[in-house]
Amino acid sequence: MEVTLAYALILVPIACAAIVGFSPSNLAKWIGTFGAFATLAVAMLFAWTFPHWTDGLFAPTNDATSWFSAMGVSISLGADSVALLLILMTTFLMPLILIGSFTAINERVKEYYFWFLLLEASMLGAFLARDAVLFFVSYEFTMIPMFFLIANWGGLQRRQAAVKYVLYSFGGGILTLVGLLYVAMKMHAATGEWNFGIGPMTEFCSTTLPASEQVWVFLLLMAGFAVKIPLVPLHTWLPLVHDQAPTGGSVILAGTLLKLGTFGEFRIALPMAPIGGVEWNFVLAVLCLIGIVAAALICWVQHDAKKLVAYSSVTHIAFCMLGMFSLNSIGVTGSVMYMISHGLSTGALFLCIGMVYERYHTKDMDELGGLYRRMPIWSFFMVFFALASLGLPGLNGFPGEFYCLVGAFIAEDTAATGYPGLMGPWFAIIAGLGLIAAAMYLLMLVGRLVWGPLREPGAHDKDHAHTSHHAPTSALPVDIGAREIGILLPLAIACLVLGLYPEPMFKAIEPSVKNMLKPYPALVERYVRDGTLLNDETETSNSPFADATQK
Amino acid sequence: MLNFSLLADATDHAAATAIGVIQPAVDAPDLKWAGLIIGLPALSALLCTICGAMRVRSKLPAFITIVALIGSFVLTCMLFQQLGQGAPRVVGLFEWMSFSWGNADRFQSFSAPFALYVDSLTLFWMLFVTGLGSLIAIYASEYMESDVGKGYTRFFGGVSVFLAAMATLVMASNLVVLYLGWEGVGLASYLLIGYYYSKPSAVAAAKKAFIMNRIGDLGLALGISLIWVNYGTVDYATLFSVLEAGPTAGHGDWMPGAIPFLLMLGAFGKSAQIPLFTWLPDAMEGPTPVSALIHAATMVTAGVYLIARMYPLFALHEDALATVAWVGGLTAFVAATIGMAQYDMKRVWAYSTISQLGYMFLGLGVGTTFGAGYHVFTHAFFKALLFLTAGAVMHGFAGQIDIRKLSGLRKVPGFRLVSYLALLGCLWLSALPFSAAFFSKDTILTAALGSERSDFQFLGWLGLLTAGITAYYTFRVWFRTFAGPVHFEAGDEQHDAHDDTHDPHHAPVAGLSLGAKHDFHPHGPRWAIRIPLILIAIGAVAAGWPAYNVLFFHGENWVQSMIAHSSAVAGSGEVHGQDVLGLSAHLMTSIVGSTACVIGIGIAFWMHLADRSAADRVRSALRGFILTRWIPTTLENRWYVDEIYHMMFRLPLWAGSHILHFFDKTVVDGFLVDGTGRVPVAVARLFQPLYNGVLQGYAATMAGGFVLIAGWVFWIWLRGNG
Amino acid sequence: MTELLATYDASSVNAALLTSSVLFGIGLVGFLSRRNMIVMFLCTELMFQGAALAMIAFGRVHGNPDGQTFVIFILTIAAAEAALALGLVVLLYRRRETLDSEAWSELKEC
Repeated sequence: MEVTLAYALILVPIACAAIVGFSPSNLAKWIGTFGAFATLAVAMLFAWTFPHWTDGLFAPTNDATSWFSAMGVSISLGADSVALLLILMTTFLMPLILIGSFTAINERVKEYYFWFLLLEASMLGAFLARDAVLFFVSYEFTMIPMFFLIANWGGLQRRQAAVKYVLYSFGGGILTLVGLLYVAMKMHAATGEWNFGIGPMTEFCSTTLPASEQVWVFLLLMAGFAVKIPLVPLHTWLPLVHDQAPTGGSVILAGTLLKLGTFGEFRIALPMAPIGGVEWNFVLAVLCLIGIVAAALICWVQHDAKKLVAYSSVTHIAFCMLGMFSLNSIGVTGSVMYMISHGLSTGALFLCIGMVYERYHTKDMDELGGLYRRMPIWSFFMVFFALASLGLPGLNGFPGEFYCLVGAFIAEDTAATGYPGLMGPWFAIIAGLGLIAAAMYLLMLVGRLVWGPLREPGAHDKDHAHTSHHAPTSALPVDIGAREIGILLPLAIACLVLGLYPEPMFKAIEPSVKNMLKPYPALVERYVRDGTLLNDETETSNSPFADATQK
Repeated sequence: MLNFSLLADATDHAAATAIGVIQPAVDAPDLKWAGLIIGLPALSALLCTICGAMRVRSKLPAFITIVALIGSFVLTCMLFQQLGQGAPRVVGLFEWMSFSWGNADRFQSFSAPFALYVDSLTLFWMLFVTGLGSLIAIYASEYMESDVGKGYTRFFGGVSVFLAAMATLVMASNLVVLYLGWEGVGLASYLLIGYYYSKPSAVAAAKKAFIMNRIGDLGLALGISLIWVNYGTVDYATLFSVLEAGPTAGHGDWMPGAIPFLLMLGAFGKSAQIPLFTWLPDAMEGPTPVSALIHAATMVTAGVYLIARMYPLFALHEDALATVAWVGGLTAFVAATIGMAQYDMKRVWAYSTISQLGYMFLGLGVGTTFGAGYHVFTHAFFKALLFLTAGAVMHGFAGQIDIRKLSGLRKVPGFRLVSYLALLGCLWLSALPFSAAFFSKDTILTAALGSERSDFQFLGWLGLLTAGITAYYTFRVWFRTFAGPVHFEAGDEQHDAHDDTHDPHHAPVAGLSLGAKHDFHPHGPRWAIRIPLILIAIGAVAAGWPAYNVLFFHGENWVQSMIAHSSAVAGSGEVHGQDVLGLSAHLMTSIVGSTACVIGIGIAFWMHLADRSAADRVRSALRGFILTRWIPTTLENRWYVDEIYHMMFRLPLWAGSHILHFFDKTVVDGFLVDGTGRVPVAVARLFQPLYNGVLQGYAATMAGGFVLIAGWVFWIWLRGNG
Repeated sequence: MTELLATYDASSVNAALLTSSVLFGIGLVGFLSRRNMIVMFLCTELMFQGAALAMIAFGRVHGNPDGQTFVIFILTIAAAEAALALGLVVLLYRRRETLDSEAWSELKEC
């Protein structure tokens, strides 16, 4: 059952994309939206029938269900609870984005919905893959729809943004591919057969590959993911791309595409090369801290609302990665939770800003202000999502953020985690400064866009500024209408529910996290004892592949 | 047992039998209805949101809110009736943030269910929070009426959010839920300070309040983490039992001593103490009922609540309580001095709030939770009364609040009651002998003066000096505004200042003086303002009852026994202290305090009623002498604290952010990333001349390349063959 | 087949290789020196055949029929390609009314 649904998750959007391709233009948006809803329905059915919510196992539990395999590459799909949560988030965002694009996209409508559905299929493919090559292909394929989405429907510098996005991600991705191929090659040398299954590769790499090689494998794998995440200092493509992408593109970029990086980290890099994960932990944690604080301060001096939210993505995702690199269950669980809540609240912020952009054709905070007077309903949602984004308890941002913070805080404490860790209170304190900075820049954003005296572009040219009804230049209503409320309301409800009752999420995430963290306690303990893992190769001898390597 | 040696200095343990013993909590699933105390305001907030979405243009949101708040109050009373001062009850509502890993060990699980911890401290706080909340909501239903259909819904939505969050804060059974309420009240405060959203100053004040509170909140969050790391729990009941089991219950050497300081930071932020006090005066940009409810009576006492609730933890570091005492004492003094030199009535009351909160922290610090709790209680009433009378004046005089432009309101028709209620509030704030505040302040100062620590004694004398200053600035306001000859100018604030058709930047109506515009008639308050005022005044007077009960009937002090049955038990004893200058500390405080009060009022009478030019003469005399020149300017400029913070924090941050942004744009993106991207381009440029667009050129390049490669291969072959 | 391969002698292979290089050289020189697109196209065909001849010769050297097989394929495809290329030349001529290859230099950057 779950296999069929997993394949359906990828095939439904592809099929709908094909139908969109052959349909008349005026039907494209309806078919596209239908496709997104159909995928959502499949995802919900998948989630409903999913048997492994609480044990962290992959469904289906055996690898033998592939349709096709050659050279060890197989098209085999499955999901664990973390992947499934990300799938649910993606499929939940997608219809909202497409409905949100009804009025924003007036040119080449067919292509737009075609690419979006293809993008959805490839993202779901990456989440569902249990084969490294399939994962990599899906992961990299997301670039193609995204390239066209940016280059065709973006802002003034869209070409440059699209090219930068593709080259940057591709450059990182190639290194990831090299890492994967290296592991596969080593495994071929050891076992005599090719196998690209993520499970076998992880087992081989984490238990058999010598420490000195794992360190480099980790770095290679990390390269691509770090660009996608994006980890400071590899983040500079993100503000440009967010700034230039159409609203829908920004939402999906913040909502799901960045999560491909964090998910890759969670699914592939950290489990596959745990020694590398421990060895590089300090460097990465420091990069996260720099990201949290520096990007937050950069947010604070932005003039462009969308760039501000883009930089806020950088700081939030650095927070998320800090939780993941804390290498204890509470931090990693918080990190996964943060992935989902960040997707919802930041995606919603991009939607809100997109709605203003559609009306005023600017997102410059120097030209816009006091929009509460024009758009009270929009303002309500804008303030709501800004608060969600700054981690107000009771809304979705808080549980993940708090667990990440606690995870980093206790990562040194043997009694709390069961093993010593590599961070400590100072990491949490510096990360906590990011919380203050988050309040600074998000309230600045809200204070300028929503509150204050009304400022509209071009208002100063005209005389009766306070009487004439002039500013919204498009055919849209002054405030957001039923369609747009219909987009934001589900997101707001999701934010509230996740904030007030995150318990089921934690229960679902935790077992997967435990599986992921299995090799870490022993390694971290050794690292703390010896200061390095590179001196000692003996521990690999008990692995099932040990004989093969010695041969 | 914990080491309460510090507290023992100031308090007499012999009297009470159960001092230092926090009663173990009892699970009470049958009290689940108590969740409605939070639920009703939350529901009201939801209904207000729906009203807003449906564009309700009536007073419906006010009615919803009032009904919900009165419901909460009644439920609190019922809870009080049922529990009294019995053992704490823990009421589990639903799972919120719980997580466990590893084995069943306490340290390997994190449990923060949404549950209530109801003990007498909770009930004590909830009684005046919900009671005053209901009254102020009734008051606001009239005060805000010019905004019906515009901001009315938003206002009452904010008030409902506030009450729900405040109830969560006070009734939480663990620190994480407390944190939820803590940030929730910050949010409500943000929304309500920024209520007049088209005024940039209001927006800035709201932002400032939220960010300064966030700084404190970070301390609180880290403190919670540290508590959990050291004691393996964030749950009050478990925490207290762990603490009683012994101070070594924690593990590791993770600085348990830092816990009280981190919690303190949170408390100082929320309660506007040094160094985080500058947001509160600015918060007066909000509507006056908000100032009364949130920024005087309830929310700002959350810091006191936090320390009282976590009082056993403050024995973890010997300097923790002393720090609280010093911060409180200094804040009380500094804020009072600033209060002397302000002309905005609400700002004077704001500084007096900071100052009185300083007394409460002084009380906590010198070891009398009873004094602090009692002062919270009396202060809630008289300060709400002062703000609400100020609001009535603002309401009647079109937003005029400058004490230089109002005079003799006592004789203006419709303002007689307001004036005398304000007088009552002023007398109580000045701690008139035998008023409620006299007893509460007296308890705190006695504990300080009678302490064995000389620095606490100094703080006690400073507190007495502050009491005199308080009396002076309080009556400066009253004599200026309500007494003397009738004279007033209407304010420039139309009540519809944030109306769609009116932009304060374009058309501020110039101050209307009575002579210039005859069509301005101040309108006196109607019943919805008068009744809450009267009830709160009665409350302010009645707040003295617990003390009278002790003094005249040798009964027990109700507040004291409420505190004594809670986690703040350690400081709830009767305060005696040692003798000061041959008199008992108690007597000394009463005498000096009363004298200071009378002198302060007397000076205010001379300078601001009998001879109003005297104030200016004093000011110019101070300005004239080189050694005292700084005094008036410094006080009028609020000790330049805002400016100092601006120079010390905001400017460097701002500059640093710009530098970072520049660095990010040019070095990281421009040089590293785009530079790398330009390398292939640069290499390609070298060979560009070969690709000139002519077909033969390409062919020649190809042939040339072939010849080169062939030649190279041939050369290798030649070398290979010797 | 085997008899054919068995009668291998070095001089005939050398001659074939020489012929092929001459063919290729003529084609190359012609391609580089002429501007008429049809003549240039003929020159590429010459180079092509030179390469094909070399392939047959090497097939012979290695006693492997693959070279000849490839050449048969190449001949077939070259025929198709010739039709296509001449069609292109006609199209290009219609655009610019000239067969001069220098009329087409849009690939040049800047």
